[in-house]
Amino acid sequence: MKILSFLVATAITVTPVLAEENRQLDAHEHGVGQLDMAFDGKQIAMELHAPGADIVGFEYEAESAPERAAVDAAVATLAGPLGLFVLPDAADCSVVQATAGLEREEEHKDDDHVDDEHADDNHAEAKHEDHANEAGHTEFHAEYLLTCADPTAINNINFSYFDSFPNALEVEVQVITAAGATSFEVERDAPTLDLRGMF
Amino acid sequence: MILRLAFASLIARALTVGMTILAIALSVALFLGVEKIRTGAKASFADTISGTDLIVGARSGSVQLLLYSVFRIGNATNNLTWETYQDIASHPDVDWIVPISLGDSHRQFRVMGTTPTFFERYKYRSGKSLVVNDGAIIDDLFDAVIGADVAATLGYSVSDPIVVAHGLASFTEHDDQPFRVSGILEKTGTPVDRTVIIGMRAIEAIHVDWQVQGQSTPADALRQMELEPQAVTAALVGVKGRLKVFGLQRFINEYTQEPLLAILPGVALQELWQIVSIAETALVGVSAMVVITALIGMMATIFSSLNERRREMAIFRAMGARPRVIVGLLVLEAIVMATLGALVGLELLYIGLTIGQPLIDSAFGLWLPIEPPTLREVWVLLVVILAGAIVSMVPALRAYRMSLADGMTVRI
Repeated sequence: MKILSFLVATAITVTPVLAEENRQLDAHEHGVGQLDMAFDGKQIAMELHAPGADIVGFEYEAESAPERAAVDAAVATLAGPLGLFVLPDAADCSVVQATAGLEREEEHKDDDHVDDEHADDNHAEAKHEDHANEAGHTEFHAEYLLTCADPTAINNINFSYFDSFPNALEVEVQVITAAGATSFEVERDAPTLDLRGMF
Repeated sequence: MILRLAFASLIARALTVGMTILAIALSVALFLGVEKIRTGAKASFADTISGTDLIVGARSGSVQLLLYSVFRIGNATNNLTWETYQDIASHPDVDWIVPISLGDSHRQFRVMGTTPTFFERYKYRSGKSLVVNDGAIIDDLFDAVIGADVAATLGYSVSDPIVVAHGLASFTEHDDQPFRVSGILEKTGTPVDRTVIIGMRAIEAIHVDWQVQGQSTPADALRQMELEPQAVTAALVGVKGRLKVFGLQRFINEYTQEPLLAILPGVALQELWQIVSIAETALVGVSAMVVITALIGMMATIFSSLNERRREMAIFRAMGARPRVIVGLLVLEAIVMATLGALVGLELLYIGLTIGQPLIDSAFGLWLPIEPPTLREVWVLLVVILAGAIVSMVPALRAYRMSLADGMTVRI
């Protein structure tokens, strides 16, 4: 009995040391992007996440010159939110801030390295890089901050996004306004987001 | 004239007509009832939480998290460690955070551990706050605030002792740590009505030595103890400014030390409706079919009545009634039946609602409002009447063609 409880006790104390590393991966669906929009006063914060496959058609690291050019062009297009998500003129919106970039989606690793493992570190990291190139997904990520003279005039948003990126099929939109939070799905066939009743 | 004839004719065949009307009435009541429950459930769900920007729990599904944290339906897959909770609470974008700890029960009601902030922050029906009807909110370690339904069902009043049991429907009662009812909340129509609310520390206190048979720490000693919670089931979070909600949501969802999930209540509700909508459509479809069946039943009775009324029709025609009068008479009779059916159906619906309202409320926590018919319901009734008229055209046209010849020919 004593021995058993000792074993249990060691098992409990030892396991966390072995399981120090956390592994997790975000969901990733080709053809489906995500757009979050928050309306507050005259400001609108937007955040777009789209799979590399939607935007440039590939998800490996751009190697050839045309591929790199494609990525650069895509980032430039993504940096202009008003061209992608057309807001009504009545709202009179302008961009305060826009950033866009390409993210390689890797396993989020959070290693609390134990001393013994240090020897292997470099090696492990190198392997991880290789692995990411084979199977990792890339995601374009853009953040916008807009300011509008009359945000309540935004009763619909036209997603020219689908014209700019022919591989994109759908955008899942989450909207927060003073009236609460809701979600929408905007698809290529009907590229308009109806926001009536949200203000 | 023709109206009087129609009424007289219907009264003469009171039993069959009555049955037909009853069938239509029941089908209409069913259809409207399904609509009422559908819209009532949606409104009731949507009204349950407002003013909360994010709900945080262990990583599972957003619908599941919403259901167990707010509606007390189902159970949590995991708890949040207190450390993680503190981490989130100290995030600069967090305006307020309220912990929720579930897992104990009092009789058939769930016990929820939380902090006094809950009473300030929990909002329902677009911004209404909880109101303590009687007594006060939690002050002492062993104070419990109970929902209106708990008080009504168990007949509790302020300062009654109550005993909290471990787990739902469990026999392990923490009877060594009796709580005291410190306040009774006003009826809200939300799951809070069916909840016993105690302090976070109290949840810890009742578990200090419940596993050791016969040992009990005196209440005063417990009051002195530190009693830091180890885990919470979920947390309601308010964010400083709407623009920061998504950022905080991402921070929580990508929190590496513990798999967490942060949801926007409104978005999760929408997801829930998407799941439910298939069943909803099926329900509406089935009840619409029942209405159609009742109307076809009416057509059948009119058809069979044509046989009985061959003479009658022939006499009308012989007296100089034009064929279209015959058609008019039959259609009018059908309209009267359908209208009566629709009205009786509406009446049945309201009787059903009056009887069912408290039962549905106590069984499912669903408050179905008794309101005058909506425009949509009025349209449904008109469509039923119109459909009744159209359906009756079939036997009426038959009578139109046959009335004279049929009634005058003596058959052997």
